[in-house]
Amino acid sequence: MAIEQAARDTAVEPVEAPVNGHDDTHTGVINPKLAMWLFLSSDCLFFGAFIATFLLYRDRPGQHGPTPADVFDIPFTSVTSFILLMSSLTMVLALAAIQRGEMRRFRIWIMATALFGATFIGGQIFEFTQFTREGLNIDTNLFGSSFYVLTGLHGAHVTAGIIWLISLWGLSMQGRIGPGQSEAIEVAGLYWHFVDVVWIVIFTVVYLIPK
Amino acid sequence: MTDSEPEAETAEDGEPAHEGRVATAEADVERAIERAEEHLPAEMRTPAPGLLPGELRPHPTPIQYVIVAVVLVVITAIEIATSYSEGTIPDAVIVVLLLGMAFVKFFLVAAWYMHLRTDAPVFRRFFILGAAAAILLYLIVLTTLHALS
Repeated sequence: MAIEQAARDTAVEPVEAPVNGHDDTHTGVINPKLAMWLFLSSDCLFFGAFIATFLLYRDRPGQHGPTPADVFDIPFTSVTSFILLMSSLTMVLALAAIQRGEMRRFRIWIMATALFGATFIGGQIFEFTQFTREGLNIDTNLFGSSFYVLTGLHGAHVTAGIIWLISLWGLSMQGRIGPGQSEAIEVAGLYWHFVDVVWIVIFTVVYLIPK
Repeated sequence: MTDSEPEAETAEDGEPAHEGRVATAEADVERAIERAEEHLPAEMRTPAPGLLPGELRPHPTPIQYVIVAVVLVVITAIEIATSYSEGTIPDAVIVVLLLGMAFVKFFLVAAWYMHLRTDAPVFRRFFILGAAAAILLYLIVLTTLHALS
């Protein structure tokens, strides 16, 4: 009896078949996705610090050189913002395509996302060049320093995202990513959408709110 | 569409001042999607098959993604128009309107594109924790340093 009881107590639960090709986890969620959400949560504080710094230094009295009103070109920045918003749409369409097993469509959408991102970065480089011509450098005044650091760090995030997306596109071309690895695309998508929502905040706080 | 419990939870987690706007925007999106879906072929109305661990409901359909994008573009256009209203509308009103619209856009991307409305609540809680901590921390910093006055 005691042996049977001990056997029952130590019996291992039957292992369930992986869901959609993914092993079950202790948390009930996919670990890379959980890790990405934790990273994004911490990145909120990262970007928050630089947005707060910008708000703190933007209108400090006694600054020499161009001010936000002198250099900002709202129509141009609106177009680049629109492009980044559209890249979020193509990203989710890429995810939907790979989840349906439509690999050709997935490659088109993910490359479109990378191209939209590259266009946004091109616009940012153009904007920075214009500002420099108008006399606003990173060391001109506190507004310049906080502006270039904030938007430059966001641009660095976008650039990292573009490299990630192109890598995924390359892996899919080699057949190393298929419908069974859609979680890899979803995690990359989370990063990309986060970059988009950060820009939503930057566009409003830095460019649109009256000085 | 389907049950709206996750949206309600998210709205409750947000700031009280934004709850009404978020609920209205969400309801508008839902109605627009329902109208558009009536005219679409079946494959466009079907979400991607299979749920991964941590997904409570299927992801949105491609047409739902497109409609959310249209809403985002429209809000962005209103934002830009509002920013040009300087002088005709008091600055304080413009600031509140712009922050409100940015919040709605932020919410739409997080809920629909990042799938917080269909995924396990643990993701939502992590994200809200980080975002709320950032807002609270830096509001305290800016208020202490008189940057908002």
